[in-house]
Amino acid sequence: MSSSSTEALSRLLTPELLAQLERMELVSRKIFRGRMKGERRSKRKGQSVEFADFRNYVPGDDLRFIDWNLYARLDKLFLKMYLEEEDLHFYALLDDSLSMDFGDPTKLHYAKQLAAAVGFIGLCRADRVRIESLGQTLRQPGPVLRGRHSLWRMVEYLEAIQGGDSVPLVDGVKNFCLRNSGKGILLFISDLMDKQGYESAFRFLLAQQMDVYVVHVLSPEELDPELQGDLRLIDCEDGEHAEITVSRPLLDRYKQTVAAFVDSAREFCTRRGMTYLLTNTNIPVEHFVASYLRQRGLVR
Amino acid sequence: MQLILGFLNNALSWWHWLVLGAIPPLIIALYFLKLKRQPLEVPSTYLWRRTIEDLHVNSLWQRLRKNLLLFLQLLLIAIVMLACLRPSWQGRELVGERFIFLVDTSASMGATDLGPTRLEVAKQRVNELIDQMNTSDTAMLMSFSDRSRVEQEFTQNRRRLRRALAAVKLTHRTTSLDESLRYSAGRANPADSREGERDVMSVAEALPATLYIFSDGNVPDVADFSLGNLEPVYTRMGTDECQNIGITAFSAERNPEKPDHLQVFGRLRHFQQKNTRGEQTVDIRVGVDVFLDDQLIESREVRISEEGTGGIEFSMSDIDSGVLKMQLQADSRNDLVVDDVAFASVNRPKLSRVLLLTSGNDALDLALGTKQSQKLATVRHETPGYLNDANYQQQAEGGLYDLIIYDQCAPDKMPQANTLFIGQLPPMDSWTSGQVQSPVSIIDTDRTHPLMQFIEMGNVEIVEATPISPPRGGTVLIDSDLVQENTTHAALFAIAPRGGFEDTVLGFRLVDTVAGEVITNWPIRVSFPLFVNNVLSYLGSARRASQTFMNVQPGQPVVVQTDEPLQKIQVVSPDGSNLEVTRSGLGHFTFTDTETIGVYKIKNTSATDRQQLFTVNLFDSRESSIWPQLELEIGHETIPVQSASTPTRREAWKYLLVVALAVALLEWYIFNRRVYL
Repeated sequence: MSSSSTEALSRLLTPELLAQLERMELVSRKIFRGRMKGERRSKRKGQSVEFADFRNYVPGDDLRFIDWNLYARLDKLFLKMYLEEEDLHFYALLDDSLSMDFGDPTKLHYAKQLAAAVGFIGLCRADRVRIESLGQTLRQPGPVLRGRHSLWRMVEYLEAIQGGDSVPLVDGVKNFCLRNSGKGILLFISDLMDKQGYESAFRFLLAQQMDVYVVHVLSPEELDPELQGDLRLIDCEDGEHAEITVSRPLLDRYKQTVAAFVDSAREFCTRRGMTYLLTNTNIPVEHFVASYLRQRGLVR
Repeated sequence: MQLILGFLNNALSWWHWLVLGAIPPLIIALYFLKLKRQPLEVPSTYLWRRTIEDLHVNSLWQRLRKNLLLFLQLLLIAIVMLACLRPSWQGRELVGERFIFLVDTSASMGATDLGPTRLEVAKQRVNELIDQMNTSDTAMLMSFSDRSRVEQEFTQNRRRLRRALAAVKLTHRTTSLDESLRYSAGRANPADSREGERDVMSVAEALPATLYIFSDGNVPDVADFSLGNLEPVYTRMGTDECQNIGITAFSAERNPEKPDHLQVFGRLRHFQQKNTRGEQTVDIRVGVDVFLDDQLIESREVRISEEGTGGIEFSMSDIDSGVLKMQLQADSRNDLVVDDVAFASVNRPKLSRVLLLTSGNDALDLALGTKQSQKLATVRHETPGYLNDANYQQQAEGGLYDLIIYDQCAPDKMPQANTLFIGQLPPMDSWTSGQVQSPVSIIDTDRTHPLMQFIEMGNVEIVEATPISPPRGGTVLIDSDLVQENTTHAALFAIAPRGGFEDTVLGFRLVDTVAGEVITNWPIRVSFPLFVNNVLSYLGSARRASQTFMNVQPGQPVVVQTDEPLQKIQVVSPDGSNLEVTRSGLGHFTFTDTETIGVYKIKNTSATDRQQLFTVNLFDSRESSIWPQLELEIGHETIPVQSASTPTRREAWKYLLVVALAVALLEWYIFNRRVYL
């Protein structure tokens, strides 16, 4: 544990937040099969100590689970079923495009904080946590983290993510899906600012049948721009420019556009069973986790 | 085109215009070229593009809206260009910066040849002038009739001037410019008469002023007056066509030959512009109605001669009291109404109050008891002992009696009344007497004095008499031969003034009341009752005649005497209002509120007394002569008719620049606040 990683941790998560996060756990609305036994009860019946149900014996069943007492009483073969305990796969996918590197704090930093916070919840509950960014190439998967002790690795990994990979949204998501085929919870943190649209990228996520939470991060400057005068706006990702003369109706219209954009994204997600959350970098991460994510059922 | 050229007045040369004209295209070019846009890096132009795309859909209007600042700048430069063209309109302007408005409110200003009345038109003119005043100008408003009135002192507040102007009302008074001119001059000219005084700090700063006189010019010439710093401008109110027929005199008098008849005179006059063109004047016939207490008693048609005058005269049987009213019914043009009616009041002759203090005098009793005497006076007989009575003191002090006859007695203090002392001197050092002498012969009588009229003393013999000498200012009425050495006492009868009263002293007794001897044969002569009659009519009621037919001009004070010593009387004016007048002293009441033409009734607060009447009539040829004069004579200057204001160019560039400034401010506001109107 180096001092740099301690600094990185304090940049991402405050001790108070950590204490708060320890008491939380991730919740999934879908049944997930973990490869290792975890701390959570699975809806899948399996081998554990907790009894769940009976069912009729069919040839081929493991004889060890036949309830002989019941056979003695009823002269019928029943199989005892136990609740299986399992682990949860948690993925955090960060948009590390250049557009995320804006604002104060930057949207990327906010995304990292959010990923660290939710990831820490997963680590505390022995879930399988994996954090990736859109800019990662296909062959470079992120590390699989498990257990509290992996916090430092997670923090270091997050720190290492730097904005600047201008990969189209759809490519980044596609790579992620190819790398991670399993089921689990996906926290996708992005500003969705892609000129080709976010819809095709989301469709890839849908195909994964993951429990997808889309966190749409915008900076206050994007929601309510404080611009003035005649400006030439330059896109930091592709250098494209737009000339505007700022006036009240233009600003009003811009706000309408933002609202329409957010609405369409929300509708798209809601219709397809994804959870859409809008946040701006002014909302503290602890508040977002404790209030918004809890309301939407990601944490408990 | 001519109108436009007259409206505009180019202030710039052609190359100025070239430069100015280049500015709008430059502004437009700057806007459309969008010379310099500040580059700004944003996370994504994604949303901005979508925003602009929406705007491009209805682009023209959006573009116009977007360019509000451009339009404001173009508007600004357009206003500046218009201002450089110096647009103007024809206006009128006051000359000077200090003004005194003199408005005539005399009766003639009520003529209807101009507007509703001349005064209303004059007020309108003043209002126009007030409108033209600049903010730094000061003005004063005065109205004048026979007296002047400062309606508003010098002020810059135009609203106050207008309010004061609205309060100016027409009067029935005559005209005099004198007072108002002197007041104005006092405000405009340095007080050079104050050179000797130390306190020059209190003298108001004298400044030149323009004096606007709104009048018909029928004003007595103002002599001995110098305008000094005043610049007079005479605005003539009235038209040349105006005509007026007015009553210039109306009176009722008792016929001296037939005392029981009243003689009524009325005089009419036709006023118009002096006939300079030699046109034949046509006779004018005017109907005249005379009413007694609102009942028609006489109706005549009066022919007004070429000179413009006409009259009416008739007699009627004597009446106790009443109001005579004369009303004109003119068919021809008659612009002034106020002189078409005249009133004359007939009051019952007032009996004088006489107190006779005697211990017995048959001759006097007899003379005072005649019918003629009873018509003139009521006599109260008392013995000399009454002098010590408290009632006497009070009555003598209070002026109850018009005349007190002291027959061989004298009071301690002179009463508030005329007196006749018989065989006794008044208790005053100024009267002196000599030794009693006998016999006496009369040398001369002063027949010119009303007391001695028709009195023949040649057949009168007097046994003994005391020669007397009146004080300075007195008049000897009967002179005798009793000239002693070292003395000047020779008068037998003399009169001398004392304050408002007159004292007469008769140097001989009529009867020796103690011895009962006859001293003179005068009582049996014809001249004696005549003398008593003269005494009663002259000393008894000197003002009786004037009390019978009282008439004054509007605004003049009226002195009323009452029979009884009252503290207050009530006067009912023609409009029905009741005014209480308190005594001003000596049994006189001075009533000054005679503004309206008509009949005023004097009511005594005690019910016993009779009602007195007096009338207020215009009777002023100058007021009735309503033709407006072409010039005013003030001092040695003749002021011709002049327009009150001079036509001038009213420039609009100041206002345009104010608008331009407002546009610039609006632009600045929109630019900074990003508001959109």
